[in-house]
Amino acid sequence: MSEEIKIIICTGTHCFVMGGSDLLLLEDHIPEELKDKVSIEGSSCLNYCEDRTKGKAPFVRINGNLMEQATIPKILKYIETL
Amino acid sequence: MKASKTFVEIDHTHVNKKQQLLCGDAFMSKKLKADQRVITVLSDGLGSGVKANVLSTMTATMVLNYLSKNYDLKKTAKAIMQTLPVCSVRKISYATFSIADIDHEGNVNLIEYGNPPALIFRDGERIEPERQLYELVKTDQLHDKMYFSQFKAELNDKIILMSDGVSQSGLGPKLYPFGWGENNVGAYVGDILSKHPSVSARYLSRLITDKALENDNSTPYDDISCGVISFREPRETLLISGPPIHRENDVEMGQIFKDFKGKKVICGGTTANIIARETNENISVELKIYDKEIPTVSKMKGADLITEGSITLGKVLEILENGISPEVLPPHGAAQLVDFLLNSDKIHFLIGTKINEAHQDPNVPVELEIRRSLIKQIMRQLEEKYLKETSLKFI
Repeated sequence: MSEEIKIIICTGTHCFVMGGSDLLLLEDHIPEELKDKVSIEGSSCLNYCEDRTKGKAPFVRINGNLMEQATIPKILKYIETL
Repeated sequence: MKASKTFVEIDHTHVNKKQQLLCGDAFMSKKLKADQRVITVLSDGLGSGVKANVLSTMTATMVLNYLSKNYDLKKTAKAIMQTLPVCSVRKISYATFSIADIDHEGNVNLIEYGNPPALIFRDGERIEPERQLYELVKTDQLHDKMYFSQFKAELNDKIILMSDGVSQSGLGPKLYPFGWGENNVGAYVGDILSKHPSVSARYLSRLITDKALENDNSTPYDDISCGVISFREPRETLLISGPPIHRENDVEMGQIFKDFKGKKVICGGTTANIIARETNENISVELKIYDKEIPTVSKMKGADLITEGSITLGKVLEILENGISPEVLPPHGAAQLVDFLLNSDKIHFLIGTKINEAHQDPNVPVELEIRRSLIKQIMRQLEEKYLKETSLKFI
Protein backbone atom coordinates (compact mmCIF):
# COMPACT_ATOMS: atom_id res chain seq x y z
CA MET A 1 0.00 0.00 0.00
CA SER A 2 1.27 3.44 -0.93
CA GLU A 3 2.24 5.95 1.71
CA GLU A 4 -0.27 8.67 0.92
CA ILE A 5 -3.60 8.73 -0.83
CA LYS A 6 -4.75 12.07 -2.14
CA ILE A 7 -8.37 12.34 -3.20
CA ILE A 8 -9.66 15.42 -5.01
CA ILE A 9 -13.43 15.73 -5.32
CA CYS A 10 -14.92 17.98 -8.00
CA THR A 11 -17.47 20.34 -6.47
CA GLY A 12 -18.51 21.98 -9.75
CA THR A 13 -22.13 22.30 -10.84
CA HIS A 14 -22.32 19.26 -13.09
CA CYS A 15 -20.63 16.86 -10.67
CA PHE A 16 -22.71 18.20 -7.78
CA VAL A 17 -26.05 17.57 -9.49
CA MET A 18 -24.97 14.18 -10.87
CA GLY A 19 -24.40 12.79 -7.38
CA GLY A 20 -21.20 14.53 -6.31
CA SER A 21 -22.92 16.23 -3.39
CA ASP A 22 -22.81 12.90 -1.51
CA LEU A 23 -19.05 12.61 -2.01
CA LEU A 24 -18.46 15.50 0.37
CA LEU A 25 -19.34 13.08 3.17
CA LEU A 26 -16.51 10.76 2.09
CA GLU A 27 -14.34 11.60 5.07
CA ASP A 28 -16.87 10.02 7.45
CA HIS A 29 -16.59 6.73 5.55
CA ILE A 30 -12.83 6.32 5.39
CA PRO A 31 -11.82 3.25 7.45
CA GLU A 32 -10.05 4.10 10.69
CA GLU A 33 -6.79 2.40 9.65
CA LEU A 34 -6.55 4.55 6.50
CA LYS A 35 -7.44 7.91 8.03
CA ASP A 36 -3.82 8.95 8.56
CA LYS A 37 -2.91 8.22 4.96
CA VAL A 38 -5.89 9.68 3.14
CA SER A 39 -6.19 13.37 2.45
CA ILE A 40 -9.37 14.76 0.90
CA GLU A 41 -9.53 18.02 -0.99
CA GLY A 42 -12.13 19.74 -3.10
CA SER A 43 -11.68 21.31 -6.49
CA SER A 44 -13.96 24.11 -7.63
CA CYS A 45 -14.05 22.30 -11.00
CA LEU A 46 -11.79 19.60 -12.46
CA ASN A 47 -13.06 20.51 -15.96
CA TYR A 48 -13.62 16.88 -17.02
CA CYS A 49 -17.29 17.53 -17.74
CA GLU A 50 -16.30 19.51 -20.81
CA ASP A 51 -14.71 16.46 -22.41
CA ARG A 52 -17.06 13.58 -23.16
CA THR A 53 -14.21 11.13 -23.61
CA LYS A 54 -13.48 11.39 -19.88
CA GLY A 55 -16.71 9.60 -18.95
CA LYS A 56 -19.59 10.70 -16.79
CA ALA A 57 -19.81 12.89 -13.72
CA PRO A 58 -19.26 12.97 -10.81
CA PHE A 59 -15.49 12.98 -11.18
CA VAL A 60 -12.83 12.36 -8.57
CA ARG A 61 -9.05 12.27 -8.89
CA ILE A 62 -7.17 9.81 -6.72
CA ASN A 63 -3.40 10.12 -6.68
CA GLY A 64 -3.62 11.76 -10.08
CA ASN A 65 -5.86 9.09 -11.61
CA LEU A 66 -9.30 10.01 -12.86
CA MET A 67 -12.37 8.16 -11.59
CA GLU A 68 -15.65 8.79 -13.41
CA GLN A 69 -19.16 8.13 -11.97
CA ALA A 70 -17.60 8.18 -8.54
CA THR A 71 -19.51 6.98 -5.52
CA ILE A 72 -18.35 6.54 -1.94
CA PRO A 73 -18.30 2.69 -2.15
CA LYS A 74 -16.44 2.86 -5.47
CA ILE A 75 -13.80 5.18 -4.00
CA LEU A 76 -13.43 3.03 -0.87
CA LYS A 77 -13.02 -0.11 -2.95
CA TYR A 78 -10.40 1.59 -5.10
CA ILE A 79 -8.28 2.98 -2.28
CA GLU A 80 -8.15 -0.45 -0.63
CA THR A 81 -6.30 -1.72 -3.71
CA LEU A 82 -3.64 1.00 -3.51
CA MET B 1 -16.03 51.55 -12.37
CA LYS B 2 -15.04 54.63 -10.40
CA ALA B 3 -16.15 55.61 -6.95
CA SER B 4 -19.12 57.92 -7.09
CA LYS B 5 -21.49 60.17 -5.19
CA THR B 6 -23.49 59.50 -2.05
CA PHE B 7 -25.64 56.42 -2.10
CA VAL B 8 -28.98 56.21 -0.29
CA GLU B 9 -29.10 52.85 1.47
CA ILE B 10 -32.51 51.89 2.80
CA ASP B 11 -33.45 48.81 4.76
CA HIS B 12 -35.87 47.77 7.44
CA THR B 13 -36.74 45.06 9.93
CA HIS B 14 -40.14 43.91 11.16
CA VAL B 15 -41.03 41.81 14.18
CA ASN B 16 -44.63 40.59 14.30
CA LYS B 17 -46.79 41.06 17.37
CA LYS B 18 -46.98 37.88 19.45
CA GLN B 19 -49.08 35.09 17.94
CA GLN B 20 -49.48 36.95 14.64
CA LEU B 21 -48.42 35.48 11.32
CA LEU B 22 -48.58 38.83 9.55
CA CYS B 23 -47.07 42.17 10.45
CA GLY B 24 -49.49 45.06 10.81
CA ASP B 25 -46.83 47.55 9.68
CA ALA B 26 -45.75 48.02 6.09
CA PHE B 27 -42.43 49.41 4.93
CA MET B 28 -42.10 50.08 1.22
CA SER B 29 -39.64 51.93 -0.97
CA LYS B 30 -39.45 52.77 -4.62
CA LYS B 31 -36.60 54.13 -6.65
CA LEU B 32 -37.69 56.30 -9.57
CA LYS B 33 -34.82 56.03 -12.00
CA ALA B 34 -36.02 58.71 -14.40
CA ASP B 35 -36.51 61.30 -11.64
CA GLN B 36 -33.50 60.06 -9.63
CA ARG B 37 -35.70 59.99 -6.56
CA VAL B 38 -36.35 57.48 -3.87
CA ILE B 39 -39.53 57.33 -1.83
CA THR B 40 -39.88 55.39 1.38
CA VAL B 41 -42.91 54.91 3.54
CA LEU B 42 -43.59 53.23 6.86
CA SER B 43 -47.24 52.69 7.66
CA ASP B 44 -48.74 51.23 10.83
CA GLY B 45 -52.23 49.76 10.50
CA LEU B 46 -54.63 49.99 13.41
CA GLY B 47 -54.87 46.75 15.38
CA SER B 48 -52.85 43.73 14.36
CA GLY B 49 -52.77 40.72 12.09
CA VAL B 50 -54.50 40.57 8.72
CA LYS B 51 -56.62 43.70 9.18
CA ALA B 52 -53.67 45.88 10.14
CA ASN B 53 -51.55 44.34 7.40
CA VAL B 54 -54.14 45.16 4.73
CA LEU B 55 -54.59 48.72 6.02
CA SER B 56 -50.91 49.52 6.25
CA THR B 57 -50.11 47.86 2.91
CA MET B 58 -52.92 49.79 1.25
CA THR B 59 -51.72 53.06 2.75
CA ALA B 60 -48.08 52.50 1.83
CA THR B 61 -49.00 51.41 -1.71
CA MET B 62 -51.17 54.49 -2.18
CA VAL B 63 -48.32 56.72 -1.03
CA LEU B 64 -45.85 55.16 -3.45
CA ASN B 65 -48.27 55.23 -6.37
CA TYR B 66 -49.37 58.83 -5.82
CA LEU B 67 -45.86 60.12 -5.33
CA SER B 68 -44.29 58.16 -8.15
CA LYS B 69 -46.76 59.87 -10.46
CA ASN B 70 -45.41 63.16 -9.14
CA TYR B 71 -48.45 64.20 -7.16
CA ASP B 72 -47.62 66.90 -4.67
CA LEU B 73 -46.42 65.37 -1.40
CA LYS B 74 -48.68 67.40 0.87
CA LYS B 75 -51.72 66.86 -1.33
CA THR B 76 -50.99 63.14 -1.44
CA ALA B 77 -50.76 62.89 2.32
CA LYS B 78 -53.97 64.85 2.73
CA ALA B 79 -55.79 62.70 0.18
CA ILE B 80 -54.71 59.54 1.97
CA MET B 81 -55.61 60.90 5.39
CA GLN B 82 -59.05 61.80 4.14
CA THR B 83 -59.47 58.42 2.47
CA LEU B 84 -58.54 56.37 5.51
CA PRO B 85 -61.57 55.26 7.49
CA VAL B 86 -61.91 56.22 11.14
CA CYS B 87 -62.29 53.66 13.90
CA SER B 88 -65.75 54.14 15.36
CA VAL B 89 -64.61 53.20 18.87
CA ARG B 90 -61.23 54.86 19.22
CA LYS B 91 -61.90 57.81 16.90
CA ILE B 92 -58.55 57.48 15.25
CA SER B 93 -57.64 56.82 11.66
CA TYR B 94 -57.02 53.28 10.54
CA ALA B 95 -53.39 53.70 9.57
CA THR B 96 -50.52 56.08 10.27
CA PHE B 97 -47.59 56.83 8.00
CA SER B 98 -44.15 58.42 7.74
CA ILE B 99 -42.92 59.30 4.28
CA ALA B 100 -39.43 60.30 3.17
CA ASP B 101 -39.13 61.56 -0.38
CA ILE B 102 -35.47 62.05 -1.32
CA ASP B 103 -34.16 63.58 -4.55
CA HIS B 104 -30.79 63.01 -6.20
CA GLU B 105 -29.24 66.02 -4.44
CA GLY B 106 -30.18 64.67 -1.01
CA ASN B 107 -33.12 67.03 -0.43
CA VAL B 108 -35.41 65.22 1.96
CA ASN B 109 -39.12 65.90 2.29
CA LEU B 110 -40.54 64.29 5.37
CA ILE B 111 -44.25 63.86 6.08
CA GLU B 112 -45.23 62.38 9.40
CA TYR B 113 -48.66 61.36 10.46
CA GLY B 114 -49.35 59.48 13.67
CA ASN B 115 -46.06 57.53 13.92
CA PRO B 116 -43.31 58.37 16.43
CA PRO B 117 -41.21 61.22 14.99
CA ALA B 118 -38.37 60.26 12.69
CA LEU B 119 -34.92 60.43 14.30
CA ILE B 120 -32.32 62.21 12.21
CA PHE B 121 -28.62 61.87 12.95
CA ARG B 122 -25.77 64.01 11.65
CA ASP B 123 -22.21 63.29 12.77
CA GLY B 124 -23.62 60.97 15.40
CA GLU B 125 -25.84 63.66 16.99
CA ARG B 126 -29.58 64.08 16.63
CA ILE B 127 -30.80 67.05 14.62
CA GLU B 128 -34.36 68.31 14.57
CA PRO B 129 -35.63 69.76 11.33
CA GLU B 130 -38.27 72.43 11.64
CA ARG B 131 -41.61 70.63 11.59
CA GLN B 132 -44.59 72.49 10.20
CA LEU B 133 -47.97 71.44 11.47
CA TYR B 134 -50.87 70.82 9.14
CA GLU B 135 -54.16 70.29 10.86
CA LEU B 136 -56.90 68.47 9.03
CA VAL B 137 -60.46 68.28 10.15
CA LYS B 138 -61.78 64.86 9.29
CA THR B 139 -64.94 64.74 11.37
CA ASP B 140 -66.37 66.80 14.20
CA GLN B 141 -64.48 64.73 16.74
CA LEU B 142 -61.38 64.15 14.76
CA HIS B 143 -58.68 66.64 14.01
CA ASP B 144 -55.61 65.05 12.54
CA LYS B 145 -52.12 66.40 12.86
CA MET B 146 -49.62 65.97 10.10
CA TYR B 147 -46.07 67.31 10.20
CA PHE B 148 -44.09 68.39 7.21
CA SER B 149 -40.37 69.08 7.21
CA GLN B 150 -37.63 69.61 4.70
CA PHE B 151 -33.86 69.42 4.94
CA LYS B 152 -30.81 68.67 2.88
CA ALA B 153 -29.09 65.46 3.85
CA GLU B 154 -25.31 65.24 4.12
CA LEU B 155 -22.96 62.32 3.73
CA ASN B 156 -23.26 59.90 6.70
CA ASP B 157 -26.66 61.26 7.80
CA LYS B 158 -29.13 58.67 9.01
CA ILE B 159 -32.91 58.84 9.22
CA ILE B 160 -34.71 56.35 11.45
CA LEU B 161 -38.40 55.67 10.94
CA MET B 162 -40.18 53.54 13.51
CA SER B 163 -43.59 52.25 14.42
CA ASP B 164 -44.89 52.74 17.95
CA GLY B 165 -44.03 49.08 18.61
CA VAL B 166 -40.44 50.35 18.98
CA SER B 167 -41.08 53.48 21.04
CA GLN B 168 -43.62 51.76 23.30
CA SER B 169 -41.62 48.58 23.81
CA GLY B 170 -40.90 47.68 27.43
CA LEU B 171 -44.04 49.54 28.53
CA GLY B 172 -44.76 48.76 32.16
CA PRO B 173 -43.79 49.79 35.64
CA LYS B 174 -40.64 47.70 35.75
CA LEU B 175 -38.60 48.94 32.82
CA TYR B 176 -40.11 52.01 31.17
CA PRO B 177 -43.39 53.29 32.68
CA PHE B 178 -44.23 54.99 29.37
CA GLY B 179 -42.34 52.69 27.03
CA TRP B 180 -38.83 52.93 25.63
CA GLY B 181 -39.60 56.37 24.18
CA GLU B 182 -38.10 58.24 21.24
CA ASN B 183 -35.41 59.85 23.36
CA ASN B 184 -34.18 56.55 24.69
CA VAL B 185 -34.23 55.09 21.18
CA GLY B 186 -32.24 58.14 20.09
CA ALA B 187 -29.69 57.64 22.87
CA TYR B 188 -29.36 53.97 21.95
CA VAL B 189 -28.78 54.81 18.28
CA GLY B 190 -26.35 57.60 19.22
CA ASP B 191 -24.36 55.10 21.26
CA ILE B 192 -24.20 52.65 18.33
CA LEU B 193 -23.17 55.41 15.92
CA SER B 194 -20.40 56.62 18.22
CA LYS B 195 -18.90 53.11 18.15
CA HIS B 196 -19.77 52.16 14.57
CA PRO B 197 -20.31 55.31 12.50
CA SER B 198 -20.52 53.38 9.23
CA VAL B 199 -23.05 50.78 10.43
CA SER B 200 -25.30 49.71 7.57
CA ALA B 201 -28.99 50.60 7.41
CA ARG B 202 -29.70 46.91 7.34
CA TYR B 203 -27.79 46.15 10.52
CA LEU B 204 -28.88 49.28 12.40
CA SER B 205 -32.57 48.56 11.79
CA ARG B 206 -32.03 45.06 13.15
CA LEU B 207 -30.18 46.33 16.24
CA ILE B 208 -33.09 48.68 17.01
CA THR B 209 -35.83 46.06 16.60
CA ASP B 210 -33.75 43.51 18.54
CA LYS B 211 -33.46 45.95 21.44
CA ALA B 212 -37.20 46.69 21.31
CA LEU B 213 -37.88 42.96 21.36
CA GLU B 214 -35.58 42.59 24.35
CA ASN B 215 -37.49 45.41 26.11
CA ASP B 216 -40.66 43.39 25.54
CA ASN B 217 -38.95 40.34 27.03
CA SER B 218 -39.07 38.63 23.61
CA THR B 219 -42.89 38.75 23.58
CA PRO B 220 -43.81 41.77 21.45
CA TYR B 221 -47.04 43.46 22.49
CA ASP B 222 -47.30 45.27 19.16
CA ASP B 223 -45.78 44.97 15.70
CA ILE B 224 -42.23 46.31 15.86
CA SER B 225 -40.85 47.95 12.70
CA CYS B 226 -37.86 50.10 12.00
CA GLY B 227 -36.65 51.51 8.71
CA VAL B 228 -33.27 53.17 8.32
CA ILE B 229 -32.17 55.51 5.55
CA SER B 230 -28.42 55.96 5.40
CA PHE B 231 -26.57 58.42 3.19
CA ARG B 232 -23.25 56.74 2.60
CA GLU B 233 -20.27 56.25 0.37
CA PRO B 234 -21.38 53.36 -1.82
CA ARG B 235 -19.96 49.95 -1.01
CA GLU B 236 -19.00 48.56 -4.40
CA THR B 237 -18.90 44.90 -5.31
CA LEU B 238 -17.78 43.05 -8.43
CA LEU B 239 -19.52 39.77 -9.17
CA ILE B 240 -17.88 37.62 -11.83
CA SER B 241 -19.65 34.56 -13.17
CA GLY B 242 -19.10 32.39 -16.21
CA PRO B 243 -16.11 31.80 -18.48
CA PRO B 244 -15.67 34.33 -21.32
CA ILE B 245 -17.02 33.19 -24.67
CA HIS B 246 -13.55 33.45 -26.21
CA ARG B 247 -10.60 32.06 -24.33
CA GLU B 248 -8.43 35.06 -25.21
CA ASN B 249 -10.71 37.21 -23.04
CA ASP B 250 -9.62 35.32 -19.91
CA VAL B 251 -6.78 37.81 -19.51
CA GLU B 252 -9.19 40.76 -19.63
CA MET B 253 -11.42 39.10 -17.05
CA GLY B 254 -8.42 38.55 -14.79
CA GLN B 255 -7.32 42.15 -15.24
CA ILE B 256 -10.74 43.58 -14.36
CA PHE B 257 -10.71 41.40 -11.25
CA LYS B 258 -7.24 42.59 -10.25
CA ASP B 259 -8.02 46.27 -10.86
CA PHE B 260 -11.32 46.41 -9.02
CA LYS B 261 -11.08 48.30 -5.73
CA GLY B 262 -14.18 47.07 -3.85
CA LYS B 263 -15.25 43.60 -2.72
CA LYS B 264 -15.05 40.72 -5.17
CA VAL B 265 -17.19 37.63 -5.61
CA ILE B 266 -16.73 34.77 -8.06
CA CYS B 267 -19.63 32.43 -8.87
CA GLY B 268 -18.66 29.29 -10.74
CA GLY B 269 -15.93 26.67 -10.58
CA THR B 270 -14.47 27.21 -14.03
CA THR B 271 -14.60 30.98 -13.56
CA ALA B 272 -12.75 30.63 -10.26
CA ASN B 273 -10.13 28.50 -11.98
CA ILE B 274 -9.65 31.17 -14.67
CA ILE B 275 -9.21 33.95 -12.09
CA ALA B 276 -6.87 31.77 -10.00
CA ARG B 277 -4.74 31.12 -13.08
CA GLU B 278 -4.71 34.78 -14.12
CA THR B 279 -3.79 35.99 -10.63
CA ASN B 280 -1.42 33.13 -9.74
CA GLU B 281 -3.37 32.15 -6.66
CA ASN B 282 -4.61 28.84 -5.29
CA ILE B 283 -8.18 27.95 -4.51
CA SER B 284 -9.03 25.97 -1.42
CA VAL B 285 -12.47 24.39 -1.30
CA GLU B 286 -14.29 24.49 2.02
CA LEU B 287 -15.40 20.91 2.68
CA LYS B 288 -16.71 21.49 6.20
CA ILE B 289 -19.89 23.33 5.15
CA TYR B 290 -22.03 20.50 3.84
CA ASP B 291 -25.38 21.21 2.27
CA LYS B 292 -27.36 18.69 0.25
CA GLU B 293 -28.91 21.37 -1.94
CA ILE B 294 -26.25 24.04 -2.46
CA PRO B 295 -22.60 23.33 -3.38
CA THR B 296 -19.88 24.44 -1.04
CA VAL B 297 -17.85 27.67 -1.11
CA SER B 298 -14.12 28.17 -1.70
CA LYS B 299 -11.41 30.58 -0.64
CA MET B 300 -8.71 32.35 -2.60
CA LYS B 301 -6.46 35.29 -1.82
CA GLY B 302 -7.92 38.42 -3.40
CA ALA B 303 -11.52 37.14 -3.54
CA ASP B 304 -13.98 37.85 -0.76
CA LEU B 305 -16.29 34.97 -1.66
CA ILE B 306 -16.24 32.11 -4.16
CA THR B 307 -19.36 30.04 -4.77
CA GLU B 308 -20.51 27.53 -7.36
CA GLY B 309 -22.41 29.05 -10.32
CA SER B 310 -25.82 28.02 -11.66
CA ILE B 311 -27.37 26.22 -8.67
CA THR B 312 -26.22 28.89 -6.22
CA LEU B 313 -27.39 31.78 -8.40
CA GLY B 314 -30.75 30.06 -8.91
CA LYS B 315 -31.15 29.81 -5.15
CA VAL B 316 -30.02 33.43 -4.71
CA LEU B 317 -32.83 34.52 -7.02
CA GLU B 318 -35.34 32.45 -5.07
CA ILE B 319 -34.18 33.95 -1.74
CA LEU B 320 -34.34 37.51 -3.09
CA GLU B 321 -37.76 36.99 -4.68
CA ASN B 322 -39.20 35.65 -1.46
CA GLY B 323 -37.57 38.33 0.67
CA ILE B 324 -35.99 35.77 3.00
CA SER B 325 -33.40 37.14 5.38
CA PRO B 326 -30.09 35.25 4.90
CA GLU B 327 -29.62 35.14 8.68
CA VAL B 328 -32.41 32.59 9.03
CA LEU B 329 -30.91 30.23 6.41
CA PRO B 330 -28.20 27.58 6.82
CA PRO B 331 -24.79 29.12 6.02
CA HIS B 332 -24.57 27.68 2.49
CA GLY B 333 -23.13 29.47 -0.55
CA ALA B 334 -26.41 31.05 -1.64
CA ALA B 335 -27.15 32.46 1.83
CA GLN B 336 -23.59 33.82 2.03
CA LEU B 337 -23.92 35.38 -1.42
CA VAL B 338 -27.27 37.04 -0.63
CA ASP B 339 -25.81 38.42 2.59
CA PHE B 340 -22.87 39.73 0.59
CA LEU B 341 -25.08 41.40 -2.03
CA LEU B 342 -27.33 43.00 0.57
CA ASN B 343 -24.24 44.43 2.26
CA SER B 344 -23.27 46.10 -1.02
CA ASP B 345 -24.70 49.24 -2.60
CA LYS B 346 -23.41 49.14 -6.17
CA ILE B 347 -22.96 45.74 -7.73
CA HIS B 348 -21.11 45.36 -11.00
CA PHE B 349 -21.81 42.09 -12.81
CA LEU B 350 -19.16 40.79 -15.19
CA ILE B 351 -20.74 37.83 -16.92
CA GLY B 352 -19.02 35.33 -19.18
CA THR B 353 -21.36 33.98 -21.80
CA LYS B 354 -19.78 30.64 -22.60
CA ILE B 355 -22.29 27.85 -22.12
CA ASN B 356 -21.24 24.70 -20.32
CA GLU B 357 -22.54 22.00 -22.63
CA ALA B 358 -22.57 19.44 -19.85
CA HIS B 359 -25.42 21.42 -18.25
CA GLN B 360 -27.54 20.72 -21.34
CA ASP B 361 -27.24 16.96 -20.83
CA PRO B 362 -30.81 15.58 -20.59
CA ASN B 363 -29.66 13.27 -17.78
CA VAL B 364 -29.05 16.24 -15.47
CA PRO B 365 -31.69 15.80 -12.76
CA VAL B 366 -32.27 19.52 -12.09
CA GLU B 367 -33.15 22.34 -14.40
CA LEU B 368 -30.31 24.82 -14.70
CA GLU B 369 -31.24 28.19 -16.07
CA ILE B 370 -29.04 30.02 -18.56
CA ARG B 371 -26.70 32.27 -16.59
CA ARG B 372 -27.53 35.40 -18.55
CA SER B 373 -31.23 35.18 -17.84
CA LEU B 374 -30.62 34.32 -14.19
CA ILE B 375 -28.35 37.31 -13.69
CA LYS B 376 -30.84 39.70 -15.26
CA GLN B 377 -33.57 38.48 -12.92
CA ILE B 378 -31.26 38.83 -9.90
CA MET B 379 -30.35 42.36 -11.00
CA ARG B 380 -34.03 43.30 -11.31
CA GLN B 381 -34.71 42.05 -7.79
CA LEU B 382 -31.71 43.92 -6.37
CA GLU B 383 -32.73 47.15 -8.09
CA GLU B 384 -36.46 47.12 -7.51
CA LYS B 385 -36.85 45.38 -4.20
CA TYR B 386 -33.58 46.13 -2.47
CA LEU B 387 -32.87 49.55 -4.09
CA LYS B 388 -29.33 48.59 -5.12
CA GLU B 389 -27.57 50.01 -8.15
CA THR B 390 -26.31 47.49 -10.66
CA SER B 391 -24.33 47.44 -13.88
CA LEU B 392 -23.81 44.61 -16.34
CA LYS B 393 -21.02 43.76 -18.72
CA PHE B 394 -20.87 40.60 -20.82
CA ILE B 395 -17.53 39.15 -21.75
